[in-house]
Amino acid sequence: MAKTIMIIDDSASIRQVVTIALKGAGYEVIEACDGKDALKKLTGQKINLIITDVNMPNMDGITFVQEAKKLPAYKFTPMMMLTTESADDKKQAGKAAGAKAWLTKPFQAPTLLDAVSKLVLP
Amino acid sequence: MSEFDAALTTFAQESEELLISMEDALLSLESSPDDSETINSVFRAMHTIKGSSGLFGFNAIVAFTHEAESVLDKVRNGERAIDAELISVLLDSKDLTARLIEHCLTQKDAPLPPELEAASARLIKQLSGSKETGIQASEAETSKLESEGGGDISVDGSWLISLKFQSDALRNGMDPLSFIRYLQTLGEIKEIITLIPGMPDGDEMDPESCYLHFKIAFQSDASKQNIESVFEFASDDCDINILPPNSKVEEYLNLLDAQDESHVKRIGEMLVQVGALTQNDVNRALQKQNESRESDDQPGKPLGKILVEQHVVQEPVVEQALKKQEQTKQKLAAEANYIRVDATKLGQLINLVGELVISSAAMNLIVERHGLADAGDVAASMNTLVSSIRDTALELRMVQIGETFSRFRRVVRDVSNELGKTIELQISGGETELDKTVVEKINDPLMHLIRNSLDHGIESPEQRLAVGKPAEGIVQLNAYHESGHIVIQIADDGAGLNCEKIVAKAIANGLIKPDHGLSQQEIFDLIFAAGLSTKEAATNLSGRGVGMDVVKKNIEALRGTVGIDSEEGQGTTITINLPLTLAIIDGFMVGTEMDRYIIPLSMVDECIEMDPNECEIDEVQHYINLRGQVLPYLRLGDYFNSRKSDTVKRRESVVVVKSGQNKAGFVVDELHGEHQTVIKPMGKVFENLKGITGATVLGDGNVALILDVQGLIQAAIKNRTRPANFLKA
Amino acid sequence: MSIEVKQDKKGSIRLAIQDEMTIYTALQQKKLLFSHLISAKTLQIDLAGVSEIDSAGLQLLLFLKREAGHHNIKLSLIQHSQAVLDVMELLNLSKYFGDPIVISADRKSS
Repeated sequence: MAKTIMIIDDSASIRQVVTIALKGAGYEVIEACDGKDALKKLTGQKINLIITDVNMPNMDGITFVQEAKKLPAYKFTPMMMLTTESADDKKQAGKAAGAKAWLTKPFQAPTLLDAVSKLVLP
Repeated sequence: MSEFDAALTTFAQESEELLISMEDALLSLESSPDDSETINSVFRAMHTIKGSSGLFGFNAIVAFTHEAESVLDKVRNGERAIDAELISVLLDSKDLTARLIEHCLTQKDAPLPPELEAASARLIKQLSGSKETGIQASEAETSKLESEGGGDISVDGSWLISLKFQSDALRNGMDPLSFIRYLQTLGEIKEIITLIPGMPDGDEMDPESCYLHFKIAFQSDASKQNIESVFEFASDDCDINILPPNSKVEEYLNLLDAQDESHVKRIGEMLVQVGALTQNDVNRALQKQNESRESDDQPGKPLGKILVEQHVVQEPVVEQALKKQEQTKQKLAAEANYIRVDATKLGQLINLVGELVISSAAMNLIVERHGLADAGDVAASMNTLVSSIRDTALELRMVQIGETFSRFRRVVRDVSNELGKTIELQISGGETELDKTVVEKINDPLMHLIRNSLDHGIESPEQRLAVGKPAEGIVQLNAYHESGHIVIQIADDGAGLNCEKIVAKAIANGLIKPDHGLSQQEIFDLIFAAGLSTKEAATNLSGRGVGMDVVKKNIEALRGTVGIDSEEGQGTTITINLPLTLAIIDGFMVGTEMDRYIIPLSMVDECIEMDPNECEIDEVQHYINLRGQVLPYLRLGDYFNSRKSDTVKRRESVVVVKSGQNKAGFVVDELHGEHQTVIKPMGKVFENLKGITGATVLGDGNVALILDVQGLIQAAIKNRTRPANFLKA
Repeated sequence: MSIEVKQDKKGSIRLAIQDEMTIYTALQQKKLLFSHLISAKTLQIDLAGVSEIDSAGLQLLLFLKREAGHHNIKLSLIQHSQAVLDVMELLNLSKYFGDPIVISADRKSS
């Protein structure tokens, strides 16, 4: 059974690239363009990993993680932050909110898949 | 049939025989499991087949038989018990080996069929899945494993990874299984033990908390850093210890040995650099060190010890690092503080710097002359740089005077013994620096002065006690810096100078007339005159009256001055004033109509206008009254006879100079200001020239003379007492 | 939550887990399985329906095995699903559970 991953980013191109890479590796992908959109799409279906950008309109990534952790169906779902090298404080804030994994932007597909496979069993 | 094919046939036959005897042996082991010869024959079968398969390039056979061989080797060495289970696995292994051989002989180049590969992998797992590594055994051994850390499983050449997940790991979405599965992409998990040491019984157990610990023997060429990064995301929720394989230890030792020794590094830093530790290992150990320091209120454990205890690095590696660190420290201590440099090279450098100073002055001159405003800034900044280079270069030759001073300890000891006096030498200011060339030349004069103090200054203990002084006399050697000069003082608490004796001696020697009318200071100065020794019987120490005049000459040759101060019954102090260097000085350039002169800047007090409105001038007696102070003066142009006869009276300036207590004014036509002066020695011909100590080359190529200020002041003082016969009215 | 319970006459219970065994299901599964465990002499857990298992699920199985030992109950795991087999293999745990594992011929391709 294919695992499902949600990608949240306000950049359509990043979402696209991530989706192509993940689908290529056999994952199902759900896309969302910001935290609010993502919360709307969390309707109880099984999601094995949520990858979220930090800076987004409407609802930023850290707030999203805090909110998602309150939902029973997602409270144990691993969350990965997309951060930039310089934003260590964001990384720490993300960790505190419950996103223990991170990926530094810019990244390439193999790095993304490596990080994903540390969190999701095949 | 080629030779190769023939060999293959032999291999097939041989293997078949070996496998048959292996089967027989295994079956007989069921009834007598301790028969070592039988075990040996099983081992030999696998060993031989492995060896010959290698020759034919049958890698699949080699890979599989290698595993069987290693297990059998353990059995042979008594490390592993042989039981029915193992025998059945070995029988399966024998069958599989036969199938592998068949496959290799018939379809040599074809890849291994999947079912063979799977069977092989399964059997390898069963072979290596020994009882002691299973969780059953570890259940009872949990506490033991806990205390011994990773030491319990050991597979040669394997990393030992210990993972202790904390209770929140699962809730945070971290799945240990994912990490372990991912770890397989970097290498091969040889053994893995799952432990649940902290899991409570029954209702207490919280299925959402994580109680899982793992110990993994992992074979991989990856670096420690790379292996650690697998668990990066779990770092908040897991204690990770990674012990490098023993096979790596030697590599680390070599790397440590090859580390550069340019500076002392901390243990952690060294070990991270060679890859034996990761920064996280070090950080955790440091944290532990701090914690134990705070809780015990004792100096923390050495970091190396903590690292070994945490099973993140082998002890020999830490020891080697410590050794290396110590070596580096010693080497640096021996080397870094001093670099031995040939003195002539330094001399060359200083000469070159001197030329640079001159060239830079020349450039400034041109910039000024052509009014190149934009070049001015560049020239100015270069000027600053040249000055710093000059100072730094000169500093290279600066040495502390302390070493010279301490040599006199021995002299004082020996001499006081010889004279039957008790004298203590007190040294201060030994850290004062001056040019090495000056130090070398001051040694002899100092020796002379100290001997004088010991011999003539300090009285015998009886005499001292008689006048109420302590029996032990004191000679003090002191040095300090003062306005670009170094001052060296030799003071004793002896009898002091006896003016009457000096005067009597001087009169007897015809140095002065009985109606001399000399001041006390002038009388003291007499002892620097040639042929005067106040001690009635000259000892062999202070020589036959030659001495003080030679001392004075030597010091003056260094552009220095020497003065004496004494109080009868209390002691004598001799003060030597020396320039810090003999090479380059900051000078003050003045000019007469014809020539230019350099006055050492440190001796210039002030400049005033030679104007009757400014100060009272006595042209006859050659003095000026400067703010109530009577100052003898000297017209440099007149003194050096360089004044043109048809001179029109023009504006003149007075440069007030001082040397020690004495002051005088030099009257000049022009003030050129500060000037970096490279001292060029005068040739032998000019050695006795009065009033000049050297020369320097100016930026425009002209020569300026460096004035002997001390000498000229004396001349000015004398000048004042006589009618002005130089004046061309 | 679907655990199918079959009780036979001799007091042996067979539980068939028809669900994933993950952190999301662990709490409920633990309650149920543990309650059956202490009331039975022999317990068989059929894992054929376990579509997915993670560390929490594995940990639960380890827990049950240990508890069974403490209470002298014979616990056996049967009909391991592929997901369970993968984990057992990864952690080299089949020996610990001591249950015969049927390796299906097509497991390589799964």
